[in-house]
Amino acid sequence: MESQSNGERSVLRTPLPKMAASLFRALLPLAERREVLEDLAAEHADRAKTHGRLAARFWLWRQLVGSLPSLVRRTWWRGWTGFEPSASRMESGGPGIETWIMDARYSTRRLAARPTYTLLVVLTLALGAAGIAAIFSVARPLLLDPLPVVREDEIGVLWMPGDWSEREFLHLRPDFPGFQRMAAIRPLDATLEIPGEPLRLVRGIGTSAELFDVLGTRPLLGRTFQPGDDLPGAEPVAVISHGLWHELGGSASIVGRRLHLGGTARTIVGVMPRGFWFPTPAVRVWTPVALNPENGAGIYALFGRIDPTVRLDRMQGQLGAIAARLRERFQYLAQWDKTKSPSITPLREHFVGDIRPGIVAMLGAMAVILLIACVNVAALMLGQVGGRSTELAVRTALGAGRRRLMQQLVVESLLLGGLAGLVGAFLATGGFKVLVRSLPLGAMADAARLDWTVLWAAMLVSLLASAAIAVIPAVRIWRGNLHGTMATTRTAGISSRGGRLEGGLVVAQIALAVLLAAGAALLLRSVSNLRAIDPGLRMEGVVILDATMPTELGNDELRRLVLDFLPSLQALSNVRAAAATLKLPLRGAGHAWGIGIEGKPDLPRSTTYFRIVTHDYFRALGMEIVRGRGFLPTDRAGTERVVVINEALAAKYFGGEDPIGRVVQTGFDERGERVIGVVKNVAEANLTDGPVAARYMLYEQVPLMWHEVSFVLWAANPEATPALMQVARSTLQREGRRLALQGTVTMESVVDEAVGAPGRLVTLLSLVAGLALVLGAVGVYGIISHFVARRTRDYGIRIALGLAPGRLVSEVLGQGLVLLALGSAVGIGSALVLTRTLSSLLYGVRPADPQSLAGAAAALLVVGLLAALIPALRAGRTDPVSVLRQE
Amino acid sequence: MNETRASDFAPLGSFEEQVMLAVFRTGADAYGMKVRQELERVTNRAVTIGSVYITLDRLEAKGLVASSRTVRAESSSRRVFSVTAVGVRALAETRAMRDRLWDGVHLPADDLSIDSA
Repeated sequence: MESQSNGERSVLRTPLPKMAASLFRALLPLAERREVLEDLAAEHADRAKTHGRLAARFWLWRQLVGSLPSLVRRTWWRGWTGFEPSASRMESGGPGIETWIMDARYSTRRLAARPTYTLLVVLTLALGAAGIAAIFSVARPLLLDPLPVVREDEIGVLWMPGDWSEREFLHLRPDFPGFQRMAAIRPLDATLEIPGEPLRLVRGIGTSAELFDVLGTRPLLGRTFQPGDDLPGAEPVAVISHGLWHELGGSASIVGRRLHLGGTARTIVGVMPRGFWFPTPAVRVWTPVALNPENGAGIYALFGRIDPTVRLDRMQGQLGAIAARLRERFQYLAQWDKTKSPSITPLREHFVGDIRPGIVAMLGAMAVILLIACVNVAALMLGQVGGRSTELAVRTALGAGRRRLMQQLVVESLLLGGLAGLVGAFLATGGFKVLVRSLPLGAMADAARLDWTVLWAAMLVSLLASAAIAVIPAVRIWRGNLHGTMATTRTAGISSRGGRLEGGLVVAQIALAVLLAAGAALLLRSVSNLRAIDPGLRMEGVVILDATMPTELGNDELRRLVLDFLPSLQALSNVRAAAATLKLPLRGAGHAWGIGIEGKPDLPRSTTYFRIVTHDYFRALGMEIVRGRGFLPTDRAGTERVVVINEALAAKYFGGEDPIGRVVQTGFDERGERVIGVVKNVAEANLTDGPVAARYMLYEQVPLMWHEVSFVLWAANPEATPALMQVARSTLQREGRRLALQGTVTMESVVDEAVGAPGRLVTLLSLVAGLALVLGAVGVYGIISHFVARRTRDYGIRIALGLAPGRLVSEVLGQGLVLLALGSAVGIGSALVLTRTLSSLLYGVRPADPQSLAGAAAALLVVGLLAALIPALRAGRTDPVSVLRQE
Repeated sequence: MNETRASDFAPLGSFEEQVMLAVFRTGADAYGMKVRQELERVTNRAVTIGSVYITLDRLEAKGLVASSRTVRAESSSRRVFSVTAVGVRALAETRAMRDRLWDGVHLPADDLSIDSA
């Protein structure tokens, strides 16, 4: 330390602030340290006098921060060139950070000279960090970031069996015990009509006027809803999201403008701020709905802000009071009794309750992967320390303290950690996309956006992990008897460290890899089984165009919109057939209607799938008519109602009889519909349903309509399907009057969608299994290398004594095989227990499928043996002469 | 030091030139902090001590300045810089090169008098 007794007067008067002084001390070489510190102190004191203490401090820190890069560079440069000014010859010695810079330089050289080791460590660490960084980036916005509402812990979702109706809400509205405010909401997507632009579909919410009072969020522009906005006859208004506002031009004059939303002219009264979403990020418009005290349809969810005096988890009394008020007014059937089990769910729980387990499980899995990666890197580093023992011992003999040796190790691991962080961030970006696709995030997927979280998470994890890992070899050096090492190198002794811990860790990670690979294999087999199912539909060259129409339109208008637009699609050049349907196959259950059959009055009440289609539907989707005929142009609005049934319906309701010409009843009128044909079964709802009864009728002949429609196009040239999608899309936007495009997909992707969760998960699980496989291989490589490195002398002597190198190779491989066999056995054992959790996702394969388990174990065996082969061959190549020469 | 002709030098960087001139101007007492203060005073810009030292080190390695240690009674010894003969030639060469470049150049706002303090 600088002695201040003979320093300048000013130094004594106002010493430099401690922190700045010690930082400067660390940055300056010994020869200049004292003079610069004195000069700085003098000027600091001067400035304190003339400009004030704060300004002087500021000046000093500016000097420090500004000097930092130059001084670090200078130290690096001096070390590189060996430059030492002649004036400092009597007082040589670098700044405090010099040793760190020297170590950084030395480590860079060391790592560059060992590319395999460096690559292995960086990749292993990067993979480990990438996994956790990716899942963290998904988890942060969903689980950790505050929700876009005021005091979210006061908001809850009130639930009783069955959804709420307007009638119930209006009855309870004057007084919800325990709540300040309560809002009823339901999904209400709206078509947005702007003159001169194609009709757009906007995801929306219909709500009672209290919604924004419950949420507490203030609008960016204008106002939110006022009491009375939801009364019948009130002026139609709407609040829009920041994103939609931006799309509409982003001008403040939007407030007060009228937009045609869902067929109604609505005044925009407010714009919500950026980042606000409710109840999902996809929702972009909120409209008050006119509440009708007679409406008993249960379609609403209730969101309430509780009184500050109560707590969400202690509301049994209030819930009971709500139930009692419902009982006063309404009669419930025993099985539909709403008042039996009322409950309240906190807002966040309601949003992420379903997806949290998946994310948390994934976080856990990735943490395990990171741990494995760390263990592997630690083993690789220990191998390095082992290989460097002579060098370290020599440095100790030359006067290096243990602290100095450890410092170099730490610098080296931080360098590796930094590199791994960069690579990891890159990998995590890819991983993030896979995760968002594969996790069942539903509507919340939009909330998970890729941002800088990935980079800093990967960087932080890598650096922390590498620093933590460095502790292990550092402790080895600290404890180690380095002078003794010198002695052992001279006497060719093998330190007989058991390495049992490392072996155990490798066995554990092999087991984990086998387990994950088994899971992935099971899912892969399920997916290929699912893909093997023939849905009975044409796949190639079929384009689907999904659209919706304004909800306010009547049946006749809806029908006319679809039938008027269809010819525009038929006229496209690459289209062989075009048709429309109410609901496409493979898109889940729904639209199952009751059926009656003439002459069979004793038929139990039952339903079949009911599809409204156009004339060319069967041709477009390649559905074969097996008996009778399909729809003909002569089947029109005025003619007899006709129906085509599928084979399953024929078998279920007609048995051996001929259904052609028979009459089935839907209830449109007494005459019913005549069966004109039987069509082959297709996967009408789900891929795995098997044959289910379905019947098809013409748009022209069905009095009821829905505002959703799917157009089916069969391309004449399947090669040009992508171009057709483009053309069809723009045709709909140009000519589809009041039809809003929802999406364009191919039939293949409809099937992909139908494969569902196993299809989405299989990529994720395969990736994780692949990760575990790679890490397992690195683990085997690391431990066997270490093993071989420690016995080089031993091998040299044995080869010199006449042992065939091939014997050595197989001996080392045997070592690897023992680890692999043990790991595989444990892995298969745990797979037998744990793959049962997958059973709901499996199709056509048992959780204990021997093929999958054997395949997983075999994959690991092959990869593991390859990893062990590298050090084994190295052992076989041991040159006895060079080994013995060292004696 | 190798016998090198000044014209073999790459022209000095502008900060290098400024630092060398500041060493000249400071005279016999040219230690790091003094050079920095002189630079700040004349150029009217904040200069950090680190950037002065790294430049002086480079210049010394190139043989353009030399440093020696003075022993002073009232405070610790200082590393004091002086411009070497090679440095003087490099400065002259740099200036000549700049003059040649400026020769015949008339800026539109030539009447703006810039004070050479």
